[in-house]
Amino acid sequence: MPVATFSFLLFISATLLVYFTVPRRSQWIVLLVASYVFYASAGVKQLLFLVLTTIISFSAGFLLAGVKNKNKKKFILASALVLDFGLLVFLKYYNFAASGINALLAGTGFALPVFKLLLPLGISFYIFQSAGYVIDVYRGKYPPERNIARFALFVSFFPQIIQGPISRYDRLAPQLSASHEPDFDRLKYGIQLMLWGYLKKIIIADRAAVLVNTVFADYMNYPGSIAALAVLFYCIQIYCDFSGGIDIIRGIAQMMGIDMVENFRRPYFATSLADFWRRWHISLGGWMRDYLFFPLSLSRPFYRLGKRTRRLFPGKLGKIIPTSLASFIVFFVIGIWHGASFKYMAFGLYNGNIISFSIIAAPYFTAFLEKIRIDPQGLPWRIVQIISTNFIVFIGRYFTRGPSLMAALRMLKRTVFSFNMQALRDGTFRTLGLSGFDLFLIVAGCFIIFLVGFYQEAGVEVRKALERKNWLVQWALVMAALAVLVFFGIYREGYIASEFIYQQY
Amino acid sequence: MPMEEKLLKILKELRPEVDFTRETRLIDEDILDSFDIIALVGELNDTFDIQIGPEHLLPENFNTLSCILDLVRKLQAEG
Amino acid sequence: MSSKKWLLMFACSVLIIVFAIAGFNFITDPFGVFGDRFFNWYSYNFTQNPRVAKIAYLDRHHEKYDSYLIGSSSTSSLSVERLNKYMNASFYNMFMYGADIYDVEQTVKYIVKNFTVKNIVLNIGPINAEKYNKESHPLTDNLHAKTDGSSLARFYVKYLFANPNYGLAKIRSFYRDGYLPQVFDVFDVPTGAYDKSARDIERIQDLEDYKENYPVFSNYPRFNYEFAHIDDFIGSVREIKLLCDENDINLTVIFFPLYYGHYKAFNPERLEEIYSKLAGITDFWDFSVHPLCTDPRFFYDATHFRNALGDMALARIFGDETVYVPEDFGHYVTPVNVLKQVEKYQAGHVFDDSGYTIKVPVLLYHHLDETAGGSLVISKERFEAQIRALAEAGYTGVSLQQLVDYVEKGRELPEKPVLITFDDGYASNYEIAYPILKKYNMKAAIFVIGSSVGKDRYKDTGYPIIPHFGYEEAREMIASGLIEIQSHTYDMHQSADYELNTARTAMSRLEGESEKAFMQAVRDDFTRSKKDIEEQTKSPVIALSYPLGRYSDLTEALLREMGVKITLSTEPGINTLIKGLPQCLRALKRIAAREDTSPETLIKMLGGP
Repeated sequence: MPVATFSFLLFISATLLVYFTVPRRSQWIVLLVASYVFYASAGVKQLLFLVLTTIISFSAGFLLAGVKNKNKKKFILASALVLDFGLLVFLKYYNFAASGINALLAGTGFALPVFKLLLPLGISFYIFQSAGYVIDVYRGKYPPERNIARFALFVSFFPQIIQGPISRYDRLAPQLSASHEPDFDRLKYGIQLMLWGYLKKIIIADRAAVLVNTVFADYMNYPGSIAALAVLFYCIQIYCDFSGGIDIIRGIAQMMGIDMVENFRRPYFATSLADFWRRWHISLGGWMRDYLFFPLSLSRPFYRLGKRTRRLFPGKLGKIIPTSLASFIVFFVIGIWHGASFKYMAFGLYNGNIISFSIIAAPYFTAFLEKIRIDPQGLPWRIVQIISTNFIVFIGRYFTRGPSLMAALRMLKRTVFSFNMQALRDGTFRTLGLSGFDLFLIVAGCFIIFLVGFYQEAGVEVRKALERKNWLVQWALVMAALAVLVFFGIYREGYIASEFIYQQY
Repeated sequence: MPMEEKLLKILKELRPEVDFTRETRLIDEDILDSFDIIALVGELNDTFDIQIGPEHLLPENFNTLSCILDLVRKLQAEG
Repeated sequence: MSSKKWLLMFACSVLIIVFAIAGFNFITDPFGVFGDRFFNWYSYNFTQNPRVAKIAYLDRHHEKYDSYLIGSSSTSSLSVERLNKYMNASFYNMFMYGADIYDVEQTVKYIVKNFTVKNIVLNIGPINAEKYNKESHPLTDNLHAKTDGSSLARFYVKYLFANPNYGLAKIRSFYRDGYLPQVFDVFDVPTGAYDKSARDIERIQDLEDYKENYPVFSNYPRFNYEFAHIDDFIGSVREIKLLCDENDINLTVIFFPLYYGHYKAFNPERLEEIYSKLAGITDFWDFSVHPLCTDPRFFYDATHFRNALGDMALARIFGDETVYVPEDFGHYVTPVNVLKQVEKYQAGHVFDDSGYTIKVPVLLYHHLDETAGGSLVISKERFEAQIRALAEAGYTGVSLQQLVDYVEKGRELPEKPVLITFDDGYASNYEIAYPILKKYNMKAAIFVIGSSVGKDRYKDTGYPIIPHFGYEEAREMIASGLIEIQSHTYDMHQSADYELNTARTAMSRLEGESEKAFMQAVRDDFTRSKKDIEEQTKSPVIALSYPLGRYSDLTEALLREMGVKITLSTEPGINTLIKGLPQCLRALKRIAAREDTSPETLIKMLGGP
């Protein structure tokens, strides 16, 4: 059930209605039922993996609580993680690996079977979420959940199961279990957030996608400038699609009285690539930090490595090498988590390299700036940083959207060596599926998002500021938003709205 | 040198521009990023001869100077 | 504003938007389900969804019709006008593009139940046994709720809350609409057929040129027909047959003509089953496999036959002798001969158009002079040398009427035909050329500019010009049986030097002239030209030569409407004429014969490349 459909809105309305009419004690049951109905609507078979993950993680938590022996605890944790991630790895990478092996063994007569595996909706999100829970219980951060049904709700909570955010048990579960009265403020905020999300998604993202898909489908036939334009549009598309989707999800949860973590904090205002990744898909970054980066950096091998590098390179460099290596590994993992393809590995390497390099180079760079008398904290330099960060992100997008690693490299090559500025003006643009009006909507939409982001960066609460305006202004805003959505939204009928780009990751 | 001074020295070296005696949301406001944390933990482990594990890397253990001190004392007592 | 008030306001806004959408959809009515009171643009509505909009149209206009043609899009190539003539009825072409036999059956049922029906012509084919009641888009290819009996309330609600982009698109198209049909309004409303005024004017002559314009025939799609729904198909036809018998309706079933690449994909055993079962229900006319099935020029695309084939089919059924019909075209299938008909699919058809095509060069002359020659002027001596060379090389001068008869009726032309033409109607044509033509017994056509006939002074301004012959001379030449006098427009070949106002030097739009004004100008001009020539010479005007050779889809469409069967351009080349395909007479190519063209060169040029 894609969010940009009438049936989804009906489903939400019905769920809310039931949610606020049943006895408050049973509200969580309504959510559980709704979540399973929602998930089953995408395919009943997919439920198997959800139930499996739920049972594995719940049992692991349950067992961990009853065991004191450290090694036994470790064993339980390891088994749970192997089972959970094994499922994900098998579904995601088996075919990639099998066809790779088959290619290597071609001619020997030996071949691994290649299955038609459908990646269940949102599987990596709920596996990450439940694995985080098992690790936290192991670390003793909180006692395990005793009620499997309540735990099942934590794993399957329906707005988030499609594309995150990846929630933490100690933040989300208590809210899910609590009773919630209907609250006008929360209802209002929820609706506003949903409207904002829908605007981003079906006005901007789905529109930009038309151009992006046209160009990437036939990338060799466009000059570098058009390729660059398509990647730029893809940057717009993926941000608006993903963050818009999250806004819708958070809006729904908010109406139910549940606060979900933020997943985006104006990433295109980031001043460095590391900063960008702290603002983009925050819940994944946080998960990776707590459950991969920290344990890795503090592990014994890294500790020993650190000692050695400090001896070899006295000063800051020696201290930073092992951490850089850890972050490098994290990005590599994020890269292949996106999908089983060399282009994602390249994407991981690209980001890991730049971040590691910039950390190592940072002290020298600061010194250099001081020498040429540029204030590293000043606004002009910040703007330079924002632009260069966006540029680095932009180049990275060639890899995530390009059909393959080779395709991405070819497009990059074209952008550099055969840019052909003329193509932006000679009417080629008109053949890419967007009208002048579509372009206007995208540009105007981006401008509004930029403006809102700009004020938020400056610490202004835009929503509160608007609330103080005259009721006519507020009404005009609501009417304008609804009218734009109805008339210029890209719907499944006539146009096919793209499914969430992220929901299968 | 008392523990607090030692700790301040480590922190100063790590991030000279931050006033650690006044900040109360070092982690929540991203003043210390994850690289800083790892560097800090390395120094703490060496200086105070403790073992900080990933399970201790929670915002509430690192948000203020006194939180960090509490963590170090707790681990020394356990150790 | 408190949150409570905000929520109230939001709810009101949603309600307002809901009503706004409903109102907008009702007013724009892109599918014509609400009567299209504001645009009254059924051509657009039919294009959006013929199933729904045509029923909505017929509900209001069915008194005008007493007979119906039904089938999928190829049905459009069967002419309502011809059927009306042959059956003395008033037909409506109730075809629905992409229709399967389920759609057809439901529609027949609705029409028979609700309207007066005398005749039904069912245009189907074996391909109708391939799909049955397939899933359809809920707005654009579903049946009307009245037709398939589903809930009317839900039907109207669905269209009331349809994506408003459909309505917006209608408004946008409204401002882009022109006289010729465009992708968004392809229907001719009164007949229900596709409006082919722009499609059927394109010059079609040489096969290779045609394949270049229609690459689908060089790269023909791979079809695969398993005919999984034979029983559904037969069941539907049986229902229709029973319904017609009960209601005393005359039913004609036609299997429409196919391109051989298409039927090659048919499963032969299942084909036999279809034929036998259908013959068991009703006799039918079978045009599926026919002598022209290997010639792409008789098809719009991979699966749709041209109107030309449709005309032949109807002529065959109703025995119209005035229309060219190839031999062995169409068979009346009965249970007795049904198996013989199926065998035809197996016969290997080899492309050979020598029996129904012919190369016809057309020569273009203007003014002649007793002695001097120039760029557009030819000397008497050179002209005679050229005509003599033609006669000696075995060419026979043919008339425009002969070309029309070849194409329309299949009447053979002499072995080496040539059409000699003169533009502008100079007195020298009469004084110098005519005697020579008589001498060699060569036919020719002269295209006169109506406003300059018999004049040696420019109209209005009185500047001296090369003298033009008058109607007296014209009548004399026509009486000889050698010369035809035809139109070079009345006054659309003005001279920029002699006009006081902006000169219209050719039949093309002036700067800033609206399409409507231009159309009126063309209609007025040709009507005048035709009236003058016909009144003065008592012989019909069937051809127009374009001033400066300039023409457009619009001029072609307008002239065709006004009965012009041949138009002539100045594009160089040799024409290929095709029996039964009137489009081969559009914008004929002409070879300009000049003073410096030696008789030998001329003969070589006529031989083609």
